[in-house]
Amino acid sequence: MNKRILIVDDSFYMRTMLKNMLTDAGYEVVGEAANGAQAVEMANATTPDLITLDVILPDNTGLDVLKSIRQTQPNAKVVMCSAVGQEVIVNEAIESGALAYIVKPFSEEKVLEIVGAALQDNSTETAA
Amino acid sequence: MKTREQEYRELFMAEALEYYDSMSRHLSELERNPNDAPALNELFRLMHNLKANARAMGFMDLGEVAHHLETLFGLVRSNEREFAGPLVRVIFQGVDALGSMIRAVGANQPLPDAQALLENLDRLVRGEAPILEGEEAENEEESSRKLELSDLVYIQVKKLDNLLNLVGELVIDRDRILTLAQEIGNPALQATAQHLFRISDDLQYSVMDARLVGVGVLLNKFPRVVRDVATAENKEVELTLSGQDVQIDRNILQIITDALLHLVRNAVGHGIETPEERVKAGKPATGHLELSALTERDDVLIQIHDDGRGINTEAVRRKAIERGLTTAEAAANLDEQAVWAFLFEPGFSMAQQVTDISGRGVGLDVVKLALDSLGGQLRVDSKMGEGTTFTLVLPTSIAVKGALLVEVDERPYAVPLLHTDTVLALPPEEFSVVGGVLVMHAQGQAVPVVPLRMLLHDEGDELFPLANKTELQGSQQVLIVNYNNRRLGLLVDRFLRQQNIVIKPLSKPLDTIDLFGGVTLLGSGQVCLVLDVPALTRLFLSKRP
Amino acid sequence: MPESGAITSSRNERATPVALVQLIVFRLGDEDYGIRIEQVKEVTVTPEVARMPKTPPFIKGIANLRGDIIAILDLEERFRLRKAGRPLPEHSYTIAVEAADYTLGLVVREVPRPLTLPLSQIEPTPEFVQDANSHEKYLEGIAKLPDGVIIVLDMRKLLSPSEVMRLPGKPAS
Repeated sequence: MNKRILIVDDSFYMRTMLKNMLTDAGYEVVGEAANGAQAVEMANATTPDLITLDVILPDNTGLDVLKSIRQTQPNAKVVMCSAVGQEVIVNEAIESGALAYIVKPFSEEKVLEIVGAALQDNSTETAA
Repeated sequence: MKTREQEYRELFMAEALEYYDSMSRHLSELERNPNDAPALNELFRLMHNLKANARAMGFMDLGEVAHHLETLFGLVRSNEREFAGPLVRVIFQGVDALGSMIRAVGANQPLPDAQALLENLDRLVRGEAPILEGEEAENEEESSRKLELSDLVYIQVKKLDNLLNLVGELVIDRDRILTLAQEIGNPALQATAQHLFRISDDLQYSVMDARLVGVGVLLNKFPRVVRDVATAENKEVELTLSGQDVQIDRNILQIITDALLHLVRNAVGHGIETPEERVKAGKPATGHLELSALTERDDVLIQIHDDGRGINTEAVRRKAIERGLTTAEAAANLDEQAVWAFLFEPGFSMAQQVTDISGRGVGLDVVKLALDSLGGQLRVDSKMGEGTTFTLVLPTSIAVKGALLVEVDERPYAVPLLHTDTVLALPPEEFSVVGGVLVMHAQGQAVPVVPLRMLLHDEGDELFPLANKTELQGSQQVLIVNYNNRRLGLLVDRFLRQQNIVIKPLSKPLDTIDLFGGVTLLGSGQVCLVLDVPALTRLFLSKRP
Repeated sequence: MPESGAITSSRNERATPVALVQLIVFRLGDEDYGIRIEQVKEVTVTPEVARMPKTPPFIKGIANLRGDIIAILDLEERFRLRKAGRPLPEHSYTIAVEAADYTLGLVVREVPRPLTLPLSQIEPTPEFVQDANSHEKYLEGIAKLPDGVIIVLDMRKLLSPSEVMRLPGKPAS
């Protein structure tokens, strides 16, 4: 069954590109959030199989969003999206439970590779 | 059609210009209050986004400038640099440079060189003093600075609807002016009318173009639907989507949403077998469902294909006889297509047995109705044990339809071309009466014939009177219409012409008369009723003697 | 209704100007009928009317009124006020009337005329007339003038879709 992904990024352009890459690969994008508040709300509403989370958001940092999502969904799979130069934040995110990170600008292969691996990671679900 | 590259480019540009505007705004805020933390945070975020987007688009220089500025704002934020003195000037220069670079991208021009700026930014990051040029250059830059607004606007569908209606009106008046100009015969007027014709054509095209969206907007909602239905029905289904980029009018998409939902649910629920059944039949356990969109001439086709059990034609045939939709003798001679057409009869497939036997058709008439309202068509193809394909044939745009104009009792009526087969002029000898119904033969098939006048003026509940061949005097004008594989000949007084028409819906309280799909205004200003062939066919079937 | 508001406010004022009503008055048969001007969209020379099959006979058909396709009603026929041998003249007028969410045209013989009169001059229709199953149930009231009466119609009751589409001999659905 198609895995359901929530995209969190404040750039419409980035979201569109990510969404196209993911849907073309057969994933279902269940939502797109443009800020931290939306992200938390949508993550709880859609319980996606995976969340791609931008590091810098208008109302919050990706790190805070990651923490609040994991409070209600301890098993949520989150992949951070960041540009180069944010290594410190990324490391902290990984320590806070993010599975991996994608460095912008990204290639389609890279995104799919990381997303695919993250979804496989300690998968407790069986294929639907 | 827009490619993805173009789409990305447009999005990038729209967002970049938006970012640039916000940056300029926040920068002035910061200039007034160098400790304005929210403004600083926003600038940092906007730079960050612009950098990432520019790099993804391959505009490395643009990304580089944004990256440097981001770093510098980071330092200001962490109080390592002060937003004051030469730094402010370089930052303003930097944001201006971003503006020109974004404009250059929009105009498809090479990006201006930013080497000097980058070096100055580097110096500031390192804590050195920047090398600034003379004031003159600055003034020149100042005078060439432009205000930029985003190239994209969001617009409510309602406004587009209104625009389309107005264009429809314009096209009607245009046709009228063209007719008048020809009658008056003034060459200057005719030339102007011709010009008006071309311009309004272009205008109509542009407005319709503005309403187009990718079919993907709808198709991308289906992975979730399929997953949910499959889980509920204990099926294993893999869904493939294609043709998301095919363009179609947004309102058409809206109208077929329920129909498509219906067909997809049906395909998963009844078409595709359980994993056990599939394995027993020698198929892979996981069923395959394909949703695809493609363009065929002016139409958009949306196909729903499953590799399930297919339609049991014989079961449908038996059911049609049981339900009195046809006689056993007639049914025996019907081909597959004609039998499948029964599936779209209202209420036909509500019977649970049929669903179980054929695996098809809970309320397929709903699908048919949605397509009828659009002037679209539904095609079925199926093979027992191998699967079924439903094809929705949709117009790209709803505004204009080809129609044949006919005359009855000196009034014009329009029949959408989608439902017309042939027009014929036949002598009375070519008709015969079978069971009280007038019948003619066309392409080896017996086609029932009825005067259109009789359908239009039918009142009460009585059946039509028995047909009487002796009433046919002289050559008869027959328009053969086709609905759901059922052909019906309509006797009319005269064929007028073929023409593109803009259909307006009938307003209340007349909208309850289902024989008419709407009205159109002819070039002469005359009001012309548009006939609804499905409703005419249904009326004929219910009233034939 | 805005009118009732007008009455209240005028009563509160000291000069107490009389609450006025503006009507558009037209003839049906030998009687004068009126409609409140707020319910009238425009008065125009009757455009070309296309007969519409499947409608009651008092619906003359449909016409194009500035791009709106509207139904044209003949109230003389609806109320059975048509005198034998007095068909509608070739040139008639149409009053475009706003129903709840659509417009209808009422065809009349002569140019309708506006008339302003005090609201108090319109007397509500007596109960027994309201109950009668005749056209009186569409009345708002009767205005008494020195030279006769004007029957004031309530367009909203008259033009409900089920009333308009009521076929002869069939109850309104």
